Amino acid sequence: MELATKYLLPVLYAFVSCGGFAIIYNIHGPGILICSFGGALGWLTYLLSAPLLHSDIAQIFVAALVISAYAEIMARIRKCPVTGYLLVAIFPLVPGGGIYYTMEYALNGEIDQFLASFLHTLGLAGAIAVGVLLVSSAVRMWGAFRRHFSPLKEVRP
Amino acid sequence: MDYDALLNVSATLGYGLLESGAEIYRVEESIQRLLHAYGIQQANPFVIPNCIIVSFVTPAGTSMTQVRRMPSHGTDVDLLERYNDLCRRLCRETPALEEAERRLREIRENQRRYSFPALLLAYFIGSAAFCLFFGGSFQDALCSGLCGLSIGLALAAMTRLHANLFFKSMLGAALSAFLALGLTCLGIGQHSQLIIIGALMALVPGIIFTNAIRDVIAGDMVAGLSKIADALLTGVSVALGTGFALGLARLLWGV
Repeated sequence: MELATKYLLPVLYAFVSCGGFAIIYNIHGPGILICSFGGALGWLTYLLSAPLLHSDIAQIFVAALVISAYAEIMARIRKCPVTGYLLVAIFPLVPGGGIYYTMEYALNGEIDQFLASFLHTLGLAGAIAVGVLLVSSAVRMWGAFRRHFSPLKEVRP
Repeated sequence: MDYDALLNVSATLGYGLLESGAEIYRVEESIQRLLHAYGIQQANPFVIPNCIIVSFVTPAGTSMTQVRRMPSHGTDVDLLERYNDLCRRLCRETPALEEAERRLREIRENQRRYSFPALLLAYFIGSAAFCLFFGGSFQDALCSGLCGLSIGLALAAMTRLHANLFFKSMLGAALSAFLALGLTCLGIGQHSQLIIIGALMALVPGIIFTNAIRDVIAGDMVAGLSKIADALLTGVSVALGTGFALGLARLLWGV
Protein backbone atom coordinates (compact mmCIF):
# COMPACT_ATOMS: atom_id res chain seq x y z
CA MET A 1 0.00 0.00 0.00
CA GLU A 2 2.78 2.40 0.92
CA LEU A 3 4.52 1.51 -2.31
CA ALA A 4 1.40 2.46 -4.26
CA THR A 5 0.79 5.83 -2.60
CA LYS A 6 4.43 6.81 -2.44
CA TYR A 7 5.71 5.74 -5.83
CA LEU A 8 3.06 4.31 -8.14
CA LEU A 9 0.36 6.97 -7.93
CA PRO A 10 2.57 10.07 -8.37
CA VAL A 11 4.28 8.45 -11.33
CA LEU A 12 0.91 7.59 -12.83
CA TYR A 13 -0.30 11.17 -12.33
CA ALA A 14 2.86 12.51 -13.94
CA PHE A 15 2.22 10.15 -16.88
CA VAL A 16 -1.38 11.36 -17.35
CA SER A 17 -0.60 15.06 -16.98
CA CYS A 18 2.26 14.87 -19.50
CA GLY A 19 -0.18 13.22 -21.91
CA GLY A 20 -2.52 16.18 -21.50
CA PHE A 21 0.23 18.72 -22.09
CA ALA A 22 1.54 16.77 -25.08
CA ILE A 23 -1.84 17.40 -26.73
CA ILE A 24 -1.73 21.10 -25.83
CA TYR A 25 1.63 21.40 -27.61
CA ASN A 26 0.19 19.63 -30.66
CA ILE A 27 2.02 16.31 -30.48
CA HIS A 28 0.30 13.54 -32.43
CA GLY A 29 0.43 9.76 -32.44
CA PRO A 30 3.08 7.77 -30.54
CA GLY A 31 4.80 11.02 -29.54
CA ILE A 32 2.18 11.48 -26.80
CA LEU A 33 3.09 8.16 -25.21
CA ILE A 34 6.80 8.92 -25.47
CA CYS A 35 6.33 12.24 -23.67
CA SER A 36 4.13 10.73 -20.98
CA PHE A 37 6.61 7.95 -20.40
CA GLY A 38 9.44 10.48 -20.19
CA GLY A 39 7.56 12.48 -17.56
CA ALA A 40 6.84 9.33 -15.54
CA LEU A 41 10.46 8.21 -15.82
CA GLY A 42 11.70 11.60 -14.63
CA TRP A 43 9.46 11.59 -11.59
CA LEU A 44 10.35 7.99 -10.75
CA THR A 45 14.02 9.03 -10.80
CA TYR A 46 13.20 11.94 -8.52
CA LEU A 47 11.44 9.65 -6.02
CA LEU A 48 13.97 6.84 -6.12
CA SER A 49 16.94 9.16 -5.68
CA ALA A 50 15.41 10.67 -2.51
CA PRO A 51 17.09 8.28 -0.01
CA LEU A 52 20.47 8.81 -1.68
CA LEU A 53 20.55 12.57 -2.10
CA HIS A 54 18.32 14.08 0.63
CA SER A 55 17.94 17.36 -1.26
CA ASP A 56 15.20 18.16 -3.70
CA ILE A 57 17.46 20.37 -5.82
CA ALA A 58 19.87 17.46 -6.35
CA GLN A 59 16.94 15.12 -7.02
CA ILE A 60 15.52 17.49 -9.65
CA PHE A 61 18.97 17.71 -11.21
CA VAL A 62 19.27 13.91 -11.53
CA ALA A 63 15.72 13.65 -12.89
CA ALA A 64 16.50 16.35 -15.49
CA LEU A 65 19.61 14.39 -16.52
CA VAL A 66 17.58 11.21 -16.99
CA ILE A 67 14.80 12.95 -18.94
CA SER A 68 17.25 14.71 -21.27
CA ALA A 69 19.11 11.49 -21.97
CA TYR A 70 15.81 9.72 -22.62
CA ALA A 71 14.65 12.52 -24.96
CA GLU A 72 17.95 12.44 -26.88
CA ILE A 73 17.69 8.67 -27.34
CA MET A 74 14.06 8.84 -28.45
CA ALA A 75 14.87 11.65 -30.88
CA ARG A 76 17.65 9.57 -32.43
CA ILE A 77 15.38 6.54 -32.75
CA ARG A 78 12.49 8.45 -34.31
CA LYS A 79 14.69 10.92 -36.23
CA CYS A 80 12.79 13.88 -34.81
CA PRO A 81 13.93 17.06 -33.05
CA VAL A 82 14.67 16.53 -29.35
CA THR A 83 12.73 19.61 -28.28
CA GLY A 84 9.26 18.13 -28.53
CA TYR A 85 9.90 15.25 -26.18
CA LEU A 86 12.11 17.16 -23.80
CA LEU A 87 9.80 20.13 -23.30
CA VAL A 88 6.75 18.15 -22.27
CA ALA A 89 8.53 15.43 -20.28
CA ILE A 90 10.25 18.06 -18.11
CA PHE A 91 6.87 19.48 -17.02
CA PRO A 92 6.50 17.61 -13.68
CA LEU A 93 9.87 19.02 -12.57
CA VAL A 94 8.91 22.65 -13.20
CA PRO A 95 8.56 24.41 -9.82
CA GLY A 96 4.95 25.56 -10.19
CA GLY A 97 4.39 25.17 -6.45
CA GLY A 98 7.49 27.24 -5.75
CA ILE A 99 6.22 30.16 -7.80
CA TYR A 100 2.85 29.99 -6.07
CA TYR A 101 4.19 29.86 -2.51
CA THR A 102 6.68 32.63 -3.26
CA MET A 103 3.83 34.80 -4.44
CA GLU A 104 1.70 33.94 -1.40
CA TYR A 105 4.48 34.81 1.04
CA ALA A 106 5.00 38.10 -0.76
CA LEU A 107 1.28 38.83 -0.54
CA ASN A 108 1.21 38.09 3.19
CA GLY A 109 4.26 40.25 3.79
CA GLU A 110 6.39 37.38 5.19
CA ILE A 111 9.65 38.65 3.78
CA ASP A 112 11.98 35.98 5.23
CA GLN A 113 9.94 33.12 3.91
CA PHE A 114 9.40 34.95 0.64
CA LEU A 115 13.14 35.26 0.08
CA ALA A 116 13.82 31.65 1.09
CA SER A 117 11.10 30.34 -1.19
CA PHE A 118 12.18 32.61 -4.05
CA LEU A 119 15.78 31.46 -3.87
CA HIS A 120 14.69 27.83 -3.58
CA THR A 121 12.51 28.17 -6.69
CA LEU A 122 15.42 29.73 -8.57
CA GLY A 123 17.59 26.84 -7.39
CA LEU A 124 15.12 24.29 -8.72
CA ALA A 125 14.93 26.05 -12.09
CA GLY A 126 18.72 26.21 -12.17
CA ALA A 127 18.95 22.49 -11.44
CA ILE A 128 16.70 21.72 -14.42
CA ALA A 129 18.80 24.04 -16.57
CA VAL A 130 22.12 22.47 -15.58
CA GLY A 131 20.72 18.95 -16.07
CA VAL A 132 19.47 19.71 -19.57
CA LEU A 133 22.65 21.62 -20.35
CA LEU A 134 25.00 18.80 -19.34
CA VAL A 135 23.30 16.14 -21.43
CA SER A 136 22.90 18.23 -24.58
CA SER A 137 26.49 19.49 -24.35
CA ALA A 138 27.70 15.90 -23.98
CA VAL A 139 25.65 14.84 -27.01
CA ARG A 140 27.04 17.69 -29.11
CA MET A 141 30.59 16.82 -28.09
CA TRP A 142 29.98 13.18 -28.91
CA GLY A 143 28.69 14.20 -32.34
CA ALA A 144 31.79 16.30 -33.02
CA PHE A 145 34.02 13.49 -31.76
CA ARG A 146 32.40 11.00 -34.12
CA ARG A 147 32.71 13.32 -37.09
CA HIS A 148 36.41 13.91 -36.50
CA PHE A 149 37.52 10.42 -35.60
CA SER A 150 35.13 8.19 -37.49
CA PRO A 151 37.13 5.64 -39.55
CA LEU A 152 34.75 6.07 -42.49
CA LYS A 153 35.06 9.86 -42.53
CA GLU A 154 31.45 10.02 -43.53
CA VAL A 155 29.80 13.37 -42.93
CA ARG A 156 26.19 12.86 -42.06
CA PRO A 157 23.65 15.47 -43.08
CA MET B 1 19.50 27.54 -61.36
CA ASP B 2 16.92 30.07 -60.19
CA TYR B 3 18.67 31.53 -57.14
CA ASP B 4 15.74 33.79 -56.29
CA ALA B 5 13.56 30.72 -55.87
CA LEU B 6 16.27 29.00 -53.81
CA LEU B 7 16.51 32.04 -51.54
CA ASN B 8 12.76 31.98 -51.14
CA VAL B 9 12.61 28.26 -50.37
CA SER B 10 15.37 28.42 -47.76
CA ALA B 11 13.90 31.49 -46.07
CA THR B 12 10.43 29.93 -46.00
CA LEU B 13 11.80 26.72 -44.52
CA GLY B 14 13.64 28.69 -41.84
CA TYR B 15 10.54 30.76 -41.13
CA GLY B 16 8.44 27.61 -40.72
CA LEU B 17 10.96 26.01 -38.38
CA LEU B 18 11.33 29.09 -36.21
CA GLU B 19 7.61 29.68 -36.12
CA SER B 20 6.94 26.17 -34.84
CA GLY B 21 9.39 26.67 -31.97
CA ALA B 22 12.70 25.22 -33.20
CA GLU B 23 15.94 26.19 -31.48
CA ILE B 24 17.97 28.93 -33.18
CA TYR B 25 20.86 26.63 -34.08
CA ARG B 26 18.48 24.18 -35.73
CA VAL B 27 17.05 26.91 -37.97
CA GLU B 28 20.50 28.18 -38.94
CA GLU B 29 21.88 24.68 -39.58
CA SER B 30 18.85 23.66 -41.63
CA ILE B 31 19.13 26.70 -43.91
CA GLN B 32 22.87 26.17 -44.27
CA ARG B 33 22.52 22.49 -45.14
CA LEU B 34 19.77 23.18 -47.63
CA LEU B 35 21.86 25.81 -49.41
CA HIS B 36 24.90 23.51 -49.40
CA ALA B 37 22.82 20.70 -50.88
CA TYR B 38 21.85 23.00 -53.74
CA GLY B 39 25.48 23.86 -54.42
CA ILE B 40 25.99 27.15 -52.58
CA GLN B 41 29.46 27.27 -51.03
CA GLN B 42 29.16 30.48 -49.06
CA ALA B 43 25.92 30.66 -47.10
CA ASN B 44 25.31 32.82 -44.04
CA PRO B 45 21.99 32.46 -42.30
CA PHE B 46 21.56 34.59 -39.18
CA VAL B 47 18.63 34.00 -36.88
CA ILE B 48 17.42 35.66 -33.69
CA PRO B 49 14.03 34.95 -32.09
CA ASN B 50 12.09 37.45 -34.20
CA CYS B 51 14.13 37.81 -37.37
CA ILE B 52 15.66 35.59 -40.02
CA ILE B 53 18.35 36.83 -42.41
CA VAL B 54 19.49 34.51 -45.20
CA SER B 55 22.41 35.66 -47.29
CA PHE B 56 24.54 33.76 -49.81
CA VAL B 57 26.84 34.29 -52.75
CA THR B 58 25.91 32.54 -56.00
CA PRO B 59 28.64 30.74 -58.00
CA ALA B 60 28.45 33.65 -60.47
CA GLY B 61 29.48 36.00 -57.67
CA THR B 62 26.27 37.93 -56.95
CA SER B 63 25.24 38.11 -53.32
CA MET B 64 21.60 37.68 -52.39
CA THR B 65 19.84 38.43 -49.12
CA GLN B 66 16.38 38.08 -47.70
CA VAL B 67 15.08 39.25 -44.34
CA ARG B 68 11.98 37.83 -42.69
CA ARG B 69 10.37 39.36 -39.66
CA MET B 70 8.94 36.83 -37.22
CA PRO B 71 5.91 37.73 -35.12
CA SER B 72 5.59 36.26 -31.63
CA HIS B 73 4.77 32.58 -31.84
CA GLY B 74 4.08 29.50 -29.75
CA THR B 75 5.30 25.92 -29.92
CA ASP B 76 3.84 23.41 -32.35
CA VAL B 77 5.79 20.17 -32.14
CA ASP B 78 3.97 18.44 -34.98
CA LEU B 79 4.73 21.26 -37.41
CA LEU B 80 8.35 21.34 -36.21
CA GLU B 81 8.78 17.63 -36.87
CA ARG B 82 7.35 17.96 -40.36
CA TYR B 83 9.54 20.90 -41.35
CA ASN B 84 12.56 19.10 -39.95
CA ASP B 85 11.68 15.99 -41.91
CA LEU B 86 11.17 18.03 -45.08
CA CYS B 87 14.57 19.66 -44.63
CA ARG B 88 16.26 16.26 -44.35
CA ARG B 89 14.50 15.06 -47.49
CA LEU B 90 15.28 18.17 -49.51
CA CYS B 91 18.95 17.90 -48.57
CA ARG B 92 19.06 14.23 -49.54
CA GLU B 93 17.02 14.30 -52.74
CA THR B 94 17.54 17.92 -53.90
CA PRO B 95 14.38 17.96 -56.04
CA ALA B 96 13.59 20.78 -58.48
CA LEU B 97 12.79 24.04 -56.67
CA GLU B 98 9.16 24.06 -57.85
CA GLU B 99 8.76 20.67 -56.19
CA ALA B 100 10.36 21.96 -52.97
CA GLU B 101 8.02 24.96 -52.99
CA ARG B 102 5.07 22.67 -53.51
CA ARG B 103 6.07 20.49 -50.55
CA LEU B 104 6.50 23.54 -48.33
CA ARG B 105 3.03 24.75 -49.28
CA GLU B 106 1.66 21.28 -48.62
CA ILE B 107 2.89 21.36 -45.00
CA ARG B 108 1.28 24.74 -44.52
CA GLU B 109 -2.01 23.58 -46.05
CA ASN B 110 -2.42 20.25 -44.24
CA GLN B 111 -1.51 21.35 -40.75
CA ARG B 112 -2.68 18.81 -38.22
CA ARG B 113 -4.41 20.48 -35.30
CA TYR B 114 -6.47 19.11 -32.49
CA SER B 115 -10.05 20.37 -32.40
CA PHE B 116 -10.87 23.02 -29.81
CA PRO B 117 -12.89 20.68 -27.54
CA ALA B 118 -10.01 18.17 -27.59
CA LEU B 119 -7.62 20.94 -26.53
CA LEU B 120 -9.92 21.98 -23.69
CA LEU B 121 -10.15 18.35 -22.60
CA ALA B 122 -6.34 18.21 -22.61
CA TYR B 123 -6.22 21.32 -20.40
CA PHE B 124 -8.71 19.66 -18.06
CA ILE B 125 -6.81 16.38 -17.86
CA GLY B 126 -3.40 18.01 -17.55
CA SER B 127 -4.44 20.34 -14.72
CA ALA B 128 -6.46 17.71 -12.88
CA ALA B 129 -3.60 15.21 -13.01
CA PHE B 130 -1.13 17.83 -11.77
CA CYS B 131 -3.42 18.61 -8.85
CA LEU B 132 -3.45 14.93 -7.89
CA PHE B 133 0.29 14.85 -8.47
CA PHE B 134 0.87 17.61 -5.92
CA GLY B 135 -1.23 15.74 -3.39
CA GLY B 136 -4.79 16.97 -3.94
CA SER B 137 -7.89 14.83 -3.45
CA PHE B 138 -10.18 13.80 -6.31
CA GLN B 139 -12.55 16.67 -5.54
CA ASP B 140 -9.61 19.06 -5.77
CA ALA B 141 -8.63 17.48 -9.08
CA LEU B 142 -12.09 18.13 -10.47
CA CYS B 143 -11.89 21.80 -9.48
CA SER B 144 -8.36 22.07 -10.81
CA GLY B 145 -9.51 20.58 -14.10
CA LEU B 146 -12.25 23.22 -14.32
CA CYS B 147 -9.69 25.95 -13.61
CA GLY B 148 -7.41 24.51 -16.29
CA LEU B 149 -10.36 24.57 -18.67
CA SER B 150 -10.94 28.24 -17.88
CA ILE B 151 -7.25 28.92 -18.60
CA GLY B 152 -7.59 27.19 -21.97
CA LEU B 153 -10.67 29.27 -22.81
CA ALA B 154 -9.05 32.51 -21.62
CA LEU B 155 -5.87 31.86 -23.63
CA ALA B 156 -7.85 31.12 -26.78
CA ALA B 157 -9.99 34.24 -26.37
CA MET B 158 -6.99 36.46 -25.65
CA THR B 159 -5.12 35.09 -28.65
CA ARG B 160 -8.08 36.14 -30.80
CA LEU B 161 -7.79 39.64 -29.35
CA HIS B 162 -4.01 39.73 -30.03
CA ALA B 163 -3.21 40.32 -26.37
CA ASN B 164 0.47 40.15 -25.49
CA LEU B 165 1.99 37.14 -23.78
CA PHE B 166 2.30 38.66 -20.31
CA PHE B 167 -1.22 39.98 -20.17
CA LYS B 168 -2.48 36.60 -21.38
CA SER B 169 -0.77 34.65 -18.63
CA MET B 170 -1.69 37.25 -16.01
CA LEU B 171 -5.36 37.10 -16.92
CA GLY B 172 -5.37 33.29 -17.16
CA ALA B 173 -3.74 33.01 -13.73
CA ALA B 174 -6.12 35.51 -12.15
CA LEU B 175 -9.17 33.83 -13.64
CA SER B 176 -8.19 30.32 -12.58
CA ALA B 177 -7.16 31.37 -9.06
CA PHE B 178 -10.41 33.28 -8.60
CA LEU B 179 -12.41 30.28 -9.82
CA ALA B 180 -10.44 27.95 -7.54
CA LEU B 181 -11.14 30.11 -4.48
CA GLY B 182 -14.81 30.37 -5.46
CA LEU B 183 -15.13 26.61 -5.79
CA THR B 184 -13.40 26.12 -2.43
CA CYS B 185 -15.78 28.63 -0.87
CA LEU B 186 -18.74 26.67 -2.24
CA GLY B 187 -17.31 23.56 -0.62
CA ILE B 188 -16.55 21.65 -3.81
CA GLY B 189 -12.79 21.95 -3.51
CA GLN B 190 -10.87 21.25 -0.31
CA HIS B 191 -7.37 22.66 -0.72
CA SER B 192 -7.41 25.88 -2.73
CA GLN B 193 -3.59 26.04 -2.86
CA LEU B 194 -3.24 22.64 -4.53
CA ILE B 195 -6.06 23.44 -6.97
CA ILE B 196 -4.38 26.68 -8.01
CA ILE B 197 -0.94 25.09 -8.35
CA GLY B 198 -2.33 22.29 -10.51
CA ALA B 199 -4.07 24.74 -12.83
CA LEU B 200 -1.08 27.10 -12.97
CA MET B 201 1.11 24.38 -14.48
CA ALA B 202 -0.52 25.24 -17.82
CA LEU B 203 0.89 28.77 -17.56
CA VAL B 204 4.22 28.34 -15.80
CA PRO B 205 6.99 29.11 -18.31
CA GLY B 206 8.75 25.73 -18.13
CA ILE B 207 8.84 25.32 -21.88
CA ILE B 208 10.29 28.75 -22.63
CA PHE B 209 12.88 28.25 -19.93
CA THR B 210 14.05 24.86 -21.24
CA ASN B 211 14.18 26.29 -24.75
CA ALA B 212 16.21 29.25 -23.53
CA ILE B 213 18.73 26.93 -21.91
CA ARG B 214 19.11 24.95 -25.12
CA ASP B 215 19.81 28.16 -27.02
CA VAL B 216 22.42 29.22 -24.47
CA ILE B 217 24.19 25.86 -24.78
CA ALA B 218 24.34 26.20 -28.53
CA GLY B 219 26.02 29.60 -28.06
CA ASP B 220 23.11 31.77 -29.22
CA MET B 221 23.30 34.22 -26.35
CA VAL B 222 20.97 36.82 -27.86
CA ALA B 223 18.20 34.29 -28.26
CA GLY B 224 18.92 32.59 -24.94
CA LEU B 225 18.94 35.78 -22.90
CA SER B 226 15.82 37.17 -24.51
CA LYS B 227 14.00 33.91 -23.84
CA ILE B 228 15.18 33.81 -20.22
CA ALA B 229 13.86 37.34 -19.81
CA ASP B 230 10.63 36.15 -21.39
CA ALA B 231 10.40 33.22 -18.94
CA LEU B 232 11.08 35.46 -15.92
CA LEU B 233 8.49 38.02 -17.01
CA THR B 234 5.92 35.29 -17.64
CA GLY B 235 6.63 33.81 -14.20
CA VAL B 236 6.20 37.23 -12.59
CA SER B 237 2.98 37.90 -14.47
CA VAL B 238 1.57 34.52 -13.40
CA ALA B 239 2.43 35.37 -9.81
CA LEU B 240 0.91 38.85 -10.16
CA GLY B 241 -2.30 37.47 -11.65
CA THR B 242 -2.68 34.90 -8.90
CA GLY B 243 -1.85 37.48 -6.26
CA PHE B 244 -4.49 39.81 -7.62
CA ALA B 245 -7.14 37.08 -7.46
CA LEU B 246 -6.13 36.10 -3.91
CA GLY B 247 -6.33 39.70 -2.76
CA LEU B 248 -9.71 40.19 -4.41
CA ALA B 249 -11.08 36.99 -2.89
CA ARG B 250 -9.91 38.15 0.55
CA LEU B 251 -11.79 41.39 0.10
CA LEU B 252 -14.95 39.72 -1.20
CA TRP B 253 -15.25 36.52 0.82
CA GLY B 254 -12.64 36.89 3.52
CA VAL B 255 -10.83 33.62 2.76
